[in-house]
Order: sequence, then C-alpha cells, then structure tokens
Amino acid sequence: MKLKIAHLYPDLLNLYGDIGNITTIRKRCEWRGIQTQVDSIYGNEKINFTDYDLVFLGGGSDREQLLVRDKLIAMKKEISAYVEDGGVLAAVCGGYQLLGSYYKLEKETIPGLEILNIQTEVGETRLISNVVLESEKFGTIVGFENHGGRTYINDHTPLGKVIYGNGNNGKDGFEGVLYKNVIATYLHGALLPKNPVLSDYIIKMMLEQRGLPSDLKPLDDTIEENAHKYVVDRFVNKN
Amino acid sequence: MRKILAVWATKLAILGSKLLGKNGSSMPGSLALKICPDILTRLSGDIKKDIIAVWGTNGKTTTNNMISTVLEEQGYKVVCNKVGSNMLPGVVTAFISFSSLTGKVKADYACLEMDEAYARIILQYLTPTKIVITNLFRDQMDRYGEIDTTISYIQMALDKAKDAVLILNGDDPLTASLGLKHKNTRYYGITENLGLNLNETREGRYCRVCGNELKYDFYQYGQLGKYHCSKCGFSRPMPQYDGKNITADDYVSFDVCDTHVDLPCKGIYNIYNALAAFSFCDTCGIEKQDIAKGLQKYKGQVGRMEEFTIKGKLVVFNLAKNPASFNQSIGNIINEKRTKDVIIGINDNDPDGNDVSWLWDVDFEKLNNDTITSYTTSGIRSKDMAVRFKYAGIDTDKMTVGGDMRQDILNAVNGSGERVYMVVNYTLLFSTKKILSELEAES
Repeated sequence: MKLKIAHLYPDLLNLYGDIGNITTIRKRCEWRGIQTQVDSIYGNEKINFTDYDLVFLGGGSDREQLLVRDKLIAMKKEISAYVEDGGVLAAVCGGYQLLGSYYKLEKETIPGLEILNIQTEVGETRLISNVVLESEKFGTIVGFENHGGRTYINDHTPLGKVIYGNGNNGKDGFEGVLYKNVIATYLHGALLPKNPVLSDYIIKMMLEQRGLPSDLKPLDDTIEENAHKYVVDRFVNKN
Repeated sequence: MRKILAVWATKLAILGSKLLGKNGSSMPGSLALKICPDILTRLSGDIKKDIIAVWGTNGKTTTNNMISTVLEEQGYKVVCNKVGSNMLPGVVTAFISFSSLTGKVKADYACLEMDEAYARIILQYLTPTKIVITNLFRDQMDRYGEIDTTISYIQMALDKAKDAVLILNGDDPLTASLGLKHKNTRYYGITENLGLNLNETREGRYCRVCGNELKYDFYQYGQLGKYHCSKCGFSRPMPQYDGKNITADDYVSFDVCDTHVDLPCKGIYNIYNALAAFSFCDTCGIEKQDIAKGLQKYKGQVGRMEEFTIKGKLVVFNLAKNPASFNQSIGNIINEKRTKDVIIGINDNDPDGNDVSWLWDVDFEKLNNDTITSYTTSGIRSKDMAVRFKYAGIDTDKMTVGGDMRQDILNAVNGSGERVYMVVNYTLLFSTKKILSELEAES
C-alpha cells in the first residue's frame, strides 16, 4: 500500500517554501511505516485524479499563476469531481485563490476553477505578517501570510479565526476555507511542519478516503510543538 | 552651506557611532539627508571617472569590494560602501566619510552596491556610468513580494541610467534578460559545465520574453546555466568574459581573456563575483594582468568563509541570506572531508525577512552526511530551524536546539568534529563575529 501525492506544477507554484508541506506529509507517513509516492506534475501532462490520495496546489508569482491557470481550467471538471467525491486537496495562497470563482485585478478579472464559492479581489497593499489562528477542530494554527488578494468566503467554513495577523481579507477575521476534504489557506511557513495536528488530519483523510484504518501511531512532536508554541507565545501571549 | 553643515554633522555622527562600537553605517547618512536632501547629487558630482552601481541578490558586497580593491591597487581613490549598507543613507555615509570638511570628494571612482528595491531611489540623486548585475535569486520576499517585483524595480532604475555600460551575468536568464533592451551591454559567464549537480529551487525557468519554458543544456547552480528558449529564440548570450579552466577544490582559480586569476577565497560563487569585477575593470582600461594581481589582494569580508581558531579548533564562519547562498554554504560544508560540528543560526528581523518559510527551499537534506558529528540551531528562529533539520531526516539525537550563540559556539567547539562550520543569516552576522573574535582572543 502506498499513498500517492500529486504535486501540481512544482516548477511554477513553488513560492515561499511550500514544498515543506509535502516533505512533512512524506516524513510523517514514513515515520509510521506508511509508504508514499510524490508525482510532480509538469506542463501539459494529463492527470488521472482518481489515482491520487492528495493533490497539492501551491502558490506562484502572479505571472506564473496565469501560466498555470489555463492548464488547470482545462481540467476543471476532473478536479471538481475529485473534490466532490471526497478527494483530499490542499491549496496554499495562489492555489487557494485559483479554487474560487475569480480573482479580480485592477484591469482584468481572471476566472477560477469554481470549486469553492469564494471571490478574490486585489487590494492596495500586500498583507504580510506572522499569523496565529484559533480553530475548533485543530486548536491553534501558526503560519506566515504574504498576499495581495482579499478573499471573501461567503458561507464557507473558515480554517480558523484570526487571533494574530490579517487572514482572508484583513476585515472579517477569518482565514482559509475547509470544504469537504479540501484545506485551502493563505498560510506559508511552511504551514504543515509547525502544525503537526493539521498534518495528521490530512494523512487521516487520505487513509479514510482509501478505506484504510486511519488510527495513526502517535509521534514525538516535541520539536514541532516547541516551534509552534514559540510563535503563539511571541505574537499572542507577547512573551 | 547646508552641504557643509550636513558633512560636519555626519562626520561627527560617524565618529560617534564608531565610538559606540556600532557597525551599521546608515544612521549618519540619514542625518545628512535631513539637513541637506540633495547632498548625494552634490557630493557625487565630484567623482572624476566612473560611478559604478552593483546590483543583484547575492555577491554584491564581494563584487563591489573586489572592484574597489583592484582600483585602489592601481592607485585610484575610491568611494565605496564597503560594509554593505546599501540603501540611500548608507551610500550617503560612504561619500561623506570620504569627503573633506569643506564637502569636496577627491575620488576617481565611486563603487556603490545598492539594494535592488532602493536603487531606483538612489538613482534620483546620481547616475551611474557603469552598472554590474550579479544575479537574481529569491530573497527576503516578504519585503519585495516576489521576484517579479524585484525585477520591475531594477528595470525602473535602469530606465534612469540608459547610457550606462551594463555588465551582466549572462548565465542567469533573469539577469541576462535585462540587457535585451539596453544599448551598451556586456556579459560574463562560465561556458564550461562545472558539474555541481545541486538539486535546488530554480527561479525563473520560464522565458521572460515569451513565457515559454526555457530549455537547459546544463545548470551551474540555481537557475544559472546554459539555457535557450525554443519558442522566441532568447538564449544565453556568449560571454565576452568567459571563465575557463576552473579549479575550486580549495582556493579558486580560473582563466579569463587568456589571463590567469588566483583568488584568495573559496566557493564557486566567487568565480562569478571575480568575473564581474574583472569585466568591469577591463572596461576601465586596466591591464588584464594588473586586474588579476589586484583580485589576489582582495580580502574577504565579515562572514565570507571567515576563519577563527578557538581552543585550537578551526571555526569556519559564513553568511547566507537566502536559499541560493545557503545551498552554496552547504556545498562548502559537505565538500570539506574532515569531520565537523555544524551550527545554523536563523534570525527573522526586518533585514533578514520576517518570514522564515524559505528554510524549506534550502536543501538541508544534503547535510545528512557522515562527516557531520553534531547539529546545533541558533538565533531567534532556532526552533524553526530544528524542525527543518528533523524533516531533512537528521538524527534528532545529534541535534541541539540552542539560541545563546556564545554557548552554542562553545558546545560545537567542544564537539568531536575536527572543525566547526557555522552559517548564519544577516542580522546574526556582526554579533556572531564579535563573539567569535572574543572567543579567539580568550583561547
């Protein structure tokens, strides 16, 4: 048994260390004796989404994102079917924006994949900050945001409530979206290494979706938890 | 009158900050700008020959200092912002340090490294006659947004210096593309394949002219290499200054324009820095043999493979600011065959970049190497670095999560390795150097 991960366009969507998320899923599986395989998907390759247990979509520069968008739009139906069927998808930053209805820039509006009912508009400044979220499901989540877009998530469930930083749009106090087995967020850091609870949640979803037992062997997360706690203490508890 | 007042006040401020033992040199310049906003225009008008601007992500300080060393060896007087204070106030401080009390700058050349984002501001006050661009890598992105933003800033600055001679690293497609619209451009590069085979994040693999994916015959490191675009024909320019017969086992040496150059420093990236300096000096009409001699006199700067001896053990100290320079430092560590204890120090102050996500773009997996006997993390973000080490597959029993630099250095020196290798990012540079010098003096 092998869990398969599709890393979409790692050559284009590779900003801000997001590769660390894949490294983390791989390692946390490896430490539990679960084999993984990561397929980097480039250029014009056709993807059979049903082959995969996790699809990862990172963020790129505006220019690179435009290049990617057309490739993804061509697979809109397949991605949508994968998500509606409970496929696990993690999207960060630009990847998050692409899942929505559109990204409105000053002069043009770029249509998205319409998997989430969210809309993004470009703002005047970039929102750049360390971030701490509070989530009922995962406890605190820490990361770093750096985005020009303001995203409005309508009735979607957010990933968490912002207790430090800006979040989706700097106004409504929410960050990210949780929808079926999709986790979409602006957070880099990379996100998963310092949030082992979130990492294990993704691995559990992957196993469940395959119909496999999803009780995960506990790991010693002292190093991760210390790094997590450092961010919470510094920005929220002001220690 | 305002100029003279500004010069006097600033000279006093420079003296004051030296007395306080401060290394930063931007504060005095800020003061001068308050008193006399166009001070830079007035002072730079005195330069007799060239005003040189050095831009790029990595190698600015080294290249700029190599250039000024060669020029000084030729007997020229040179204004130079040597310690890397490369925003507007730092440049002002460099000029005022050099000027007489009456505000005259009796110099032949000004060698100015400039921050990529601030070059367009500095160029409102002075116009360089020659510009060197070393490379464009991912760096401090929370400040610039992303690399496309950096390039647009550089383009804005270039538009203000249309007549300048442009000297570019042709092996970097991002840098080379800046020469396409510029009328007077020269390129340096390395045509022979160095065969380094580093596996790293590559910036700008897409053609900046048409957006198509660039094809590479080989990579040197990062996105540097032999590339071409099969769609629009953009390709690596043949360099006028081509580094050949390269050796880099220890100190590096190479040939360029039939001239042999021995450098008193290590690291492949220094060949590129020296090629940039050589190209520039050649455009100034300096004899090639004299350039080579001058480069040999170059003294490395703080934290550029600097060596200390503490309790009889050699400590090699290196600065790295971004994934590209970190991967280079890692290459230096694993090329050393002796056993060693390793310290990585990471801060997240404004000059470092507040975001430490880039640690995940560095190939720390390469440090999973039998010659390394222990791994210590230090700096404000030592805990983040520890997570990075753990996920790089490094044995947590060999790891120490530190944070007190003095103690971390002492622990590493007492380790079982034959040497200590340290890599820190920017705001740890001077404080760590101070500790290393103190420990060296004590032992």
